[in-house]
Amino acid sequence: MTTADDYITRVVGHMPGATPLRAQIATELRSHITERVANGQPLDDVLRHLGDPATLAESYLAEVPLIPASFWRRAAAKLVDILIVLAPILALVAVAWRAIGTVNGFAFPILVGSTAIGGPLLFGILTAIAECRTGQTIGKRLLGIRVVRESGARISAGQAIVRQLPMFLQIYWIDVLFSLATDKAQRAFEMLSKTRVVRVEPDAGR
Amino acid sequence: MADSGGSERKGIDRELRRGSLELIVLQLLAPGEAYGYEIVSKLTAETNGALEVTDGTLYPVLYRLERAALVAVRWETPERGVPRKYYRLTDAGREELIRLTHEWSTFAKAMNKLLRRDREAK
Repeated sequence: MTTADDYITRVVGHMPGATPLRAQIATELRSHITERVANGQPLDDVLRHLGDPATLAESYLAEVPLIPASFWRRAAAKLVDILIVLAPILALVAVAWRAIGTVNGFAFPILVGSTAIGGPLLFGILTAIAECRTGQTIGKRLLGIRVVRESGARISAGQAIVRQLPMFLQIYWIDVLFSLATDKAQRAFEMLSKTRVVRVEPDAGR
Repeated sequence: MADSGGSERKGIDRELRRGSLELIVLQLLAPGEAYGYEIVSKLTAETNGALEVTDGTLYPVLYRLERAALVAVRWETPERGVPRKYYRLTDAGREELIRLTHEWSTFAKAMNKLLRRDREAK
């Protein structure tokens, strides 16, 4: 049997962390369930009246307008993320270069090649993890934008990975061009993964 | 073809319900503040269950009204039990209630006229 807390956790868990009044929604649902149960209604019946947790979460989210993040805001967020990931990679490359560069003549092309392939791969993995867990990378958090499903709900791990495929396949810059021409400013792989990047509401997190 | 007609009908029904729910909730809040469970109970009691909505439908509507500043909220924690969120109409909410009531009356009159004409023709 699902407990009230399980149910509320599932509703709220479906919402991105930055959903406006998210904490208040949880408290109000708890209050409602408690009241119904106190009036003699079985918990299962109460939860059935509230409906499927994911559907309820999406009903709330349908009331939050999704405002597409501007191209430049997204570009600034990406730049911040790149700098954050690139700095330690470059430091590592410099250390490796100093260590092996003098003893192996092929060290330079190997280092450049592995950075060119490994860098975007690492960047894509870190971005996918951050977006799947919170909907935001550090850059997105700083620029006040987040990744959501087209319904406004949190994205899944699969969606987070599909979003990063252009980075893994090194076709990111081509993919980015789509966001300049599509209605909701989506990249091609965002349309494929049914995700969007939107502005965070000013009253988020209350 | 039959399928698309069916889904279209469902869509119209959903939109009608969505539009009227806002009016229903604003109307129920017109006499004074109430909390979610109280609103559901009032709706069932005052319409003899005819306009009963599921709890899962009502709360997102209250959320929408709050975000649109048509209702104001306050929290009250009873001595025993969990906090209750009370809703009351704002001035904008009262204006919206008047506007929606007028819209609904115009719509209902037009529909009645149309349906009556149809019945008379038969």
